[in-house]
Amino acid sequence: MLLSAREVSRSFGSFVALANANLDVEEGEIVGLIGPNGAGKSTFFNCVAGDIPPSAGRIVFSGTDVTRASAATHARLGIGRTFQVPATFEEMSILDNVMVGAFLRHHQRGDARAAALDVIEFTGLKALTEAPAKSLGTPGRKRLEIARVLATEPKLLLLDEALAGLTPVEIQEAIALVRRIHARGVTIVIVEHIMEVILTLAERVLVFNQGATIASGRPRDVVNDPAVIEAYLGRRHARDRGAHAP
Amino acid sequence: MRWLGIVIGAAFLLYPWLVTDDFYARTGADVLLAAIGASAWNILGGYAGQISVGHAMFFGIGAYLPLLAYSHMGLPPVAGVPLAIVISLGFAIVVGLPTFRLHGHYFSMATIAVAELVRIVIGNWDFVGAATGLMGPAVSRTWLDLSFRSPIPYYYLFLAVLAGLLLLTWHLQRSRMGYYWRAIRAGERPARSLGVRVARYKLYALLLSAAFTSLAGSLYSLMVGFIDPESGFGILRSVEMIIIAALGGAGTLFGPLLGAVLLIPLQTVTNSLFGGGGSGLTYIIYGGIIVVLARFEPGGLLDLWRRASQWWSRRRETVTVRHAA
Ligand SMILES: Nc1ncnc2c1ncn2[C@@H]1O[C@H](COP(=O)(O)OP(=O)(O)OP(=O)(O)O)[C@@H](O)[C@H]1O
Ligand SMILES: [Mg+2]
Repeated sequence: MLLSAREVSRSFGSFVALANANLDVEEGEIVGLIGPNGAGKSTFFNCVAGDIPPSAGRIVFSGTDVTRASAATHARLGIGRTFQVPATFEEMSILDNVMVGAFLRHHQRGDARAAALDVIEFTGLKALTEAPAKSLGTPGRKRLEIARVLATEPKLLLLDEALAGLTPVEIQEAIALVRRIHARGVTIVIVEHIMEVILTLAERVLVFNQGATIASGRPRDVVNDPAVIEAYLGRRHARDRGAHAP
Repeated sequence: MRWLGIVIGAAFLLYPWLVTDDFYARTGADVLLAAIGASAWNILGGYAGQISVGHAMFFGIGAYLPLLAYSHMGLPPVAGVPLAIVISLGFAIVVGLPTFRLHGHYFSMATIAVAELVRIVIGNWDFVGAATGLMGPAVSRTWLDLSFRSPIPYYYLFLAVLAGLLLLTWHLQRSRMGYYWRAIRAGERPARSLGVRVARYKLYALLLSAAFTSLAGSLYSLMVGFIDPESGFGILRSVEMIIIAALGGAGTLFGPLLGAVLLIPLQTVTNSLFGGGGSGLTYIIYGGIIVVLARFEPGGLLDLWRRASQWWSRRRETVTVRHAA
């Protein structure tokens, strides 16, 4: 087993954002993670990537307990992640952004540069190699984040809504990119609100609601699960009644 | 661009022989010294983006130890230089480890507080001359005292140190270290996610920065032969390094040098016009520069130049395209 996250919880003050979440991932899988807004998906990613420590639970990656390890250690061990709100290095060029990632495995400048250029080509950013990151729109930034983390040569990639905000054509391109990444032997966990993406990419889906796992299984089965429908529809009813602020 | 570099390099090498008066040569040495200090600050504040307002602490340690070695042990002042660097590194570790947990303004404020504390302690400590300060050898006993009447030897000593520092910085900025510093400045959280050990790389930047700031302080007291708490540890020292670096362009290789070339002569002129009271004017000039930079040109003059030349070449391209069409 590549990743085993058991009974992972996280609270912010008295608010429980994540309650006993479980996720096991086998090497070579693409797992989808869905759930309504505020379900705790990003919080779960932050825990698995070492960005914030879980309040309780245990996370094991390739046989190593990483529950309390730093984010940098996670990257070293081979867990890569993108951010839901892109966090590219704005003043730096696309190449330099990706080189920061590449320096993790290639300590010499020339090697890091060559590795970064490979990744830039692979992710279709070649025409923009020297452009500053801040010249990109949100879709470009999301692609750059993928390139940057790929340069760290992860075994497990956590994609947090990397396809949000794309046009239908861009979505098809991004799906193809995720497939190519997977074909390179990278295991992927993907959070996505666009059902089409989850249904085409994921072999297995996990549904979060209010911090807990409420369903898991094959995508087609999960979307017909009454508990899942209720989690989504319940939210919609609540919103229609105006109980939720926007 | 290469020609421009050669011309500027030659100008720096020949400058003392191009001017007739010692006053100009001394101003030249002052410029180089300020450039060393600002370039040292630039490693931490510019490249790694940790705005220290307490670098006077390292400058002061560097300035005091040579004169302490002389006045307490009769050693040539240079003997105190390595010890000053070691003590500065020690301070850097003690100060850096807790303050690096702070972010943005909080880090800056903590560095001010520590530096001011050191200044107050020094000003009340008789062993280091308390408020009066320390003197160097009045006349050179041997050449080792490095006490010259002419500013020209200092000019070349400073030029050599600055060249070494810039060469090292150039090498680092292209290496893994330099990329990690810029990543930390741009965002610690994404940097961590890419495997950057943020605390460690900040500390490397601080250590290098502190060592060279200490060296700048030592060079200062070797040349001036006198130091007191205000000129060694005063907050104006820290502010000067920041302003010079920011004016030229923080986080660029030659920004601090450009800033020093512009600001130090200006300061010298205002000081000579308004006598000893010039320091009040210095505050006003510094304040003015901060306001203008913060409002209009956060990237400093080198950034302005870069954008202007980009705009110019783009304009030329469109003109050529129009002609071709
Ligand atoms: N640092 C934080 N401090 C306080 N509350 C937080 C913090 N981070 C997340 N939360 C809260 O935890 C809950 C889960 O947030 P999270 O971002 O994990 O949801 P999500 O499933 O990713 O939602 P979305 O689909 O909108 O991205 C939300 O109610 C959010 O407000
Ligand atoms: Mg989220």
